[in-house]
This record gives sequence, structure tokens and C-alpha cells, in this order.
Amino acid sequence: MQNRRDFFKAVAGAAAGAYAVGRGMPALAQRGGGGQRGGGAAAAPAGPVKRREVFIGRKRVKVIDLHAHCTVDGVSEVVKGTPFERQAGGRALDQDRVNLIDSEGIDIQVLTINGYWWWEVQDRDLAGRIVRAQNEGLAKWVAAHPDRFLALSSVSLQFPELAAEQLDYGVKQLGLRGATIGGHVNGESLSLPKFDPFWAKANELGVVVFMHPGGADNIVKPDAWKARGDIGNIIGNPLETTYFLTRLIFDGTFDKFPNLKVCGAHGGGYLPSYFQRTEVACDVRGNAMCANKKHPREYLKTNIMADTMVLTDEGLRHLVAEMGISQVVYGTDNPLNWPVPVDMIVNHSTLTDAQKEQILSGNLMKLLKIPAAATA
Amino acid sequence: MPNRREFFRATAAAAAGSFVMRGGYAAFAQAAQGAAKRREISIGRKRIKVIDSHAHLGIPAVAEVVKGTPFAKNVNVAPNLVVGPDRVRAMDEWGIDIALLTQQGGWWYGVPDRDLARAIVKTQNEGTAAIVAKYPDRFIGMASMPLQFPDIAAEMLEDGVKRLGFKGGGISAGFAGEKELSGPEYDVFWAKAQELGVLLFMHPGGGNDIGAEKHFGGKGALGNTIGNPLETTMFLSHLIYEGTLDKFPGLKICGAHAGGYLPSYLGRTDAQCIRQADACTGKKRPVEDYFKTQIMVDSMIFREEGLRHLVAEVGAGQMVYGTDMPFGWPANPDFILNATFLNNAQKEQILGGNLVKLLKIAPAATN
Repeated sequence: MQNRRDFFKAVAGAAAGAYAVGRGMPALAQRGGGGQRGGGAAAAPAGPVKRREVFIGRKRVKVIDLHAHCTVDGVSEVVKGTPFERQAGGRALDQDRVNLIDSEGIDIQVLTINGYWWWEVQDRDLAGRIVRAQNEGLAKWVAAHPDRFLALSSVSLQFPELAAEQLDYGVKQLGLRGATIGGHVNGESLSLPKFDPFWAKANELGVVVFMHPGGADNIVKPDAWKARGDIGNIIGNPLETTYFLTRLIFDGTFDKFPNLKVCGAHGGGYLPSYFQRTEVACDVRGNAMCANKKHPREYLKTNIMADTMVLTDEGLRHLVAEMGISQVVYGTDNPLNWPVPVDMIVNHSTLTDAQKEQILSGNLMKLLKIPAAATA
Repeated sequence: MPNRREFFRATAAAAAGSFVMRGGYAAFAQAAQGAAKRREISIGRKRIKVIDSHAHLGIPAVAEVVKGTPFAKNVNVAPNLVVGPDRVRAMDEWGIDIALLTQQGGWWYGVPDRDLARAIVKTQNEGTAAIVAKYPDRFIGMASMPLQFPDIAAEMLEDGVKRLGFKGGGISAGFAGEKELSGPEYDVFWAKAQELGVLLFMHPGGGNDIGAEKHFGGKGALGNTIGNPLETTMFLSHLIYEGTLDKFPGLKICGAHAGGYLPSYLGRTDAQCIRQADACTGKKRPVEDYFKTQIMVDSMIFREEGLRHLVAEVGAGQMVYGTDMPFGWPANPDFILNATFLNNAQKEQILGGNLVKLLKIAPAATN
């Protein structure tokens, strides 16, 4: 699980790292953090910052970010003395994150703990305690900043029944708004029936499941990414998401749990942007054996969501055209410094003002059940 | 090499069917099979030449070459891969004037014996040349090559172009085994393609080059649905990032199936090079520049919105029409002819104009 570890290190490193770099909309002009996989930190200004308020025309619009990484205090103690001790570190959330979202014009950031190293834990009790510490840490941070942050539940998906309980508890007792998962559990596809208890719970609760990849280490041979271009990230990540979503479609998971809302990070990987081959596969390929009951595009327009991390004006136009405006939500990948300023949506060349607002917050207000008054 | 076999199994399955799709959603319903009247495509009042860059064939005579070797079982030339009157009729129905014939599947990349590899490819290429000789107005030959031997590959490309009149060659990435086509040992091959100034059509074989094929056995024909665009994406990414396209700026490579994922998802590629410049030191230009100059893509994206995005990313001047015949994909030219966002000049470019120019083919008026 090399890539997952690398990813976690990158987030932790970013959290501890280069917050002194000058900030500015040309996030594009910034350079990554010395070549570590995952890139450098977004640069939050040192000291207090003026909170940016985002307008479309003259209308103040709320901005909600569904794609934000973090670590929390309290997990290290749980794994102390176990083989997982080294994975739980990293600088936890602090004022710099508030400054970062202030400077970027984000009103509410939906936090997730990613990397999923805890899915390798085979001791059920330990697995439960790790996730409990993560979720309580998240809830504590959210409680301290109730207007600015929400969080999604971590789950021990290697124990699907436990994961369902954790999600239920997280949503009902801790106020978490959904779950965050990776694209596979120790190499196993999440479309396998053994994971049904988790999907059934998400389906029942009607909460979003945010999926974030870790370099497709479930699919490729170990040295596949040993090449230039950081292709483990730029190809591996969208590949893992594509494979994950594709199997949920063709294996019939969305038919079994039609209320699911699964948001794929990075524009849902390749799937929505290159949907046509998937769309016709069941018709054209004699060996396709598709289990899905509906046309693949039906799932793309209802069950599957994607964040805006396609990074270009044309890419976003295409994403919306393929999925429908209701399926696309703003995501930044904070604190990693991808060029995803809110301006990419605000200044978009073809979206209407109403569509821009849907992407920036409208869709997520509904999905995360945020009362309109709460964001006033 | 399961994917090589799968490719041939799929071929055989397709052969048992017809060009009419199984089942099929209404949006993709194709024109019913009718009389073999040749469709002539015009845009406005101008007759244009429609050229299919992506058409497969098989040469039965190869069976004799590999008889008694471990590769005998790989030769499984389904009837619909044998190009003859049926293929011409299928082209007539869709209005395709000329098809570029490429040998795909690449099982011969696994032949360790140089002489045998050369003999297989020679037979394939001479068989292709014979079909072109029989239908000189309807087909253009593309050389097959044993890519496991870069020097023989260069030799066979030159032989195909100079002796057999081919306009380029067909290559695959996944079948080259452990070798990286961007590695220096392949310079001799890329140098020859550049010297000859011919087009290389790259067709994937299911993504087995990165070890992914064993995960593609499930529902949805994933070796095809995901493995193919993945292999093409990896191939093009390596040629870009490892500097191969800079070393050989005259190379022209066409990626099958709309160039895989890469052109439809370019943002992440570009952004990463800006975030982490040290990850991209092997190349000299922005990624999109290679798609404006050296990399072409076929039109196998089936729908107007996909086509619109592709044209926006790479430009109509880098796109060529492709059908994947005889495999029954919904790729008849109407989705290009009817595309509301394309002007007539762009439609002509995609359907044939770009290849007329690149391959120095006589335009329709002189047909």
C-alpha cells in the first residue's frame, strides 16, 4: 500500500510545511513541495487574514468545499505500540486551516481523513478505536468552529458491519454528514456483496460517501508508476476512482442501493470525462455480462457525483455537460496546493450564475442537510 | 498474455454476429443493414473523402508460418477480419471511402526468435499489400512490426513503406513485455518512423503493460472499457514525459479510442507539471503542445458532447475518423456530420481531410 502511505505523508508534510510561501490567486504559479508525491502545501498566510467573501455579480454566495484532507489529535495514543504507530502522525488541524479557508473564500469546509492506512488493521477492537478517535477528533474540531467546518465519518471498511455501525453513530451522535472511503479495501472491490452492510447504511441514512483514491495500488504492478511525470498521482488516482465507480455500475451496486450518493474525487476520475466507452460497453461487447439494470448514464446523473477538480474551464464545462449540474460540487484538495481557486467557477465562461451557485454550495446544502440560515 | 487471447476471442465472437449491435440503446441505433448501395458523403454540396483510420484485419496465411510452433494457437483469424467483399459492403453502407488497415493484437511481440518474428510480420504485411492491390481505391496498408526487436521493427516499417507502399505502421504498447517504448533501445525505431515521415497508429491491448489485466475480468468487459484507454494513456504519457517526442519531433502518432483518457482529462496532467516541475523534467514543452503537433486521436468517442470536448482540447486538425471495424462499435460518421458545434471545414478535416493531407492521398474530387 505504498501509495496510500505516501499520500498520508504528503498530507502530514503539507500540514507541517511551507505555509510561508506567498499566497495569491495564481496558485498555478506556485511550486510543489520539493517533489514529494502529493505536492506541497497550499500557502496560508502567516497571521490573521481577511476573510474573502465570494460574490457572483452582486450576490454573496456561500462556498462549500467537499474535498479537504486533515489529521486530528488523539489517534497517535490509540496506535502507540502497534505496527501502525508511524502512520497516525502529522500536524493536526489548527488555526492555519482557518486562515487558509478564509483566504480562499471557503465558508464551509467538509473535512475528511484519508489515506485509509487503518483498513489494514486486522484487530477489530483496535480498528474500532482508531476510527472512534478520528471521528471524535473531527467532531471536536467542528464543534469548536461550527459555522466553518463539517466532517465526514471515517469507517473501518475491512469490517463492513462495524463500518455501518460507525457511520450510523457518526451521523446520529457526532453530527458527521457522511462517510469517506478509498477505492478498495486491501485490494478488494467495494462492489463485492460483503460490503453491502456499509452501502445499505449509507443508503438508509441518505448521506454522501466521498471516495478518494490512493494511486490504484490495487490494480497495477508495483513498478508501474516508476516513470517521470508523477504518473502515480496523475494517472493512478483517476484510474482507481474510475475502476471503483465502474464496478459499482456494472456489478449492480447502485441498483441494489438506489439512494446512494457517491462523490468521486478529482472530477470522478476519468469516468465522467470519458464516459462514452463505458456507456456503450454493455451493448457492444459480447463478453460484458453487465449486471446493471439501467443505462450507465442514469447512474452518472443520479448516484455518482464529482468534485470540480478537473482544473480547467473546458474540463468543467464538459463535466457538467456529462453529469448534469446537480452532480458537480466544489472541491479544493486542501491543504495540497492544486490550482483550484474559487475563481475557476466564479469566472467560468459558460456556466450561468445559478449553475455556479449550485456547484459552489447549492448542491451541497441539500446533500449535507445544511439549513439555509446556518450559512447566513 | 491473456489479453492477446481475449482480443482474438472477441474477434471470433464479433465474427459470429454482424455489424448490427446486440440490444442497443435507441440513441445508438444504427442504420439497418440494407442493400449494398455505396453511400457517398457530402458536406454542403461538396463530396468529401471519408477515411477510417482505425480498421482491423487478419491474414490467414500466417497460420502456415507458425505451424508447429507454440504460436500456432494465436492465429485465429475470424472471418470478419479477412478483408473482402463483406468489409467493402460495410464501408459502403457507412460511407467510408478508404480504410487504413492495421494488424492488431500483437501476439507476435511475444515471439523470441528473430527470424520467426520477421517471417510472421513479413507474411502479414504482404497479405495486407495484396488486399490493397485488389482494392486500391478503398484501402491503405499499415505495416505490422515485431516491436520486441526495435531494429527489426524499423526494418519492417521501412520495408512496408518502400516496398509495399504502406503509409505507416500499427503499434501496440502492452505487448512489448517489460520493455518501455520510451526507452533508448527504441530510438532506432522512432528514428526510422521520423525519417520516413509516416504515421504510427497506436492501438492498445487491454492494459496488461502495467499489470492491470487480472483485475479486468469482471462485468463490463473492463479490459476493453478501462484497460484499453488506460494503456493508451500510459503509452502517450511515457512518450511525453520521458522526452521521446522531443527527441523525435517529426513523429506523428495517432492514439486509438480518442487517445485514451489523456486528451479528455488533460487538466490534471498540466497542473501537476506546474505544481511539481521536478516531476516533468524529461519533456521540453507543455503537455497540450504535443497534442497540437505530434499526437493525433481518432474519433471513437461516439457522442457529440465527447467529440466537442475532444475538439476543444486537441483541435479538429488533430482528429481523424475511426470505426474499429469489424467490431460493431456505434461509430458511423453521422455523429460527426450532425455535430452542431462543428463547421463544415472541421467536419471535413476530421472525416478525411487531415489524413488526405498527412498521407498525401488524392482528395475526393480526383477520385
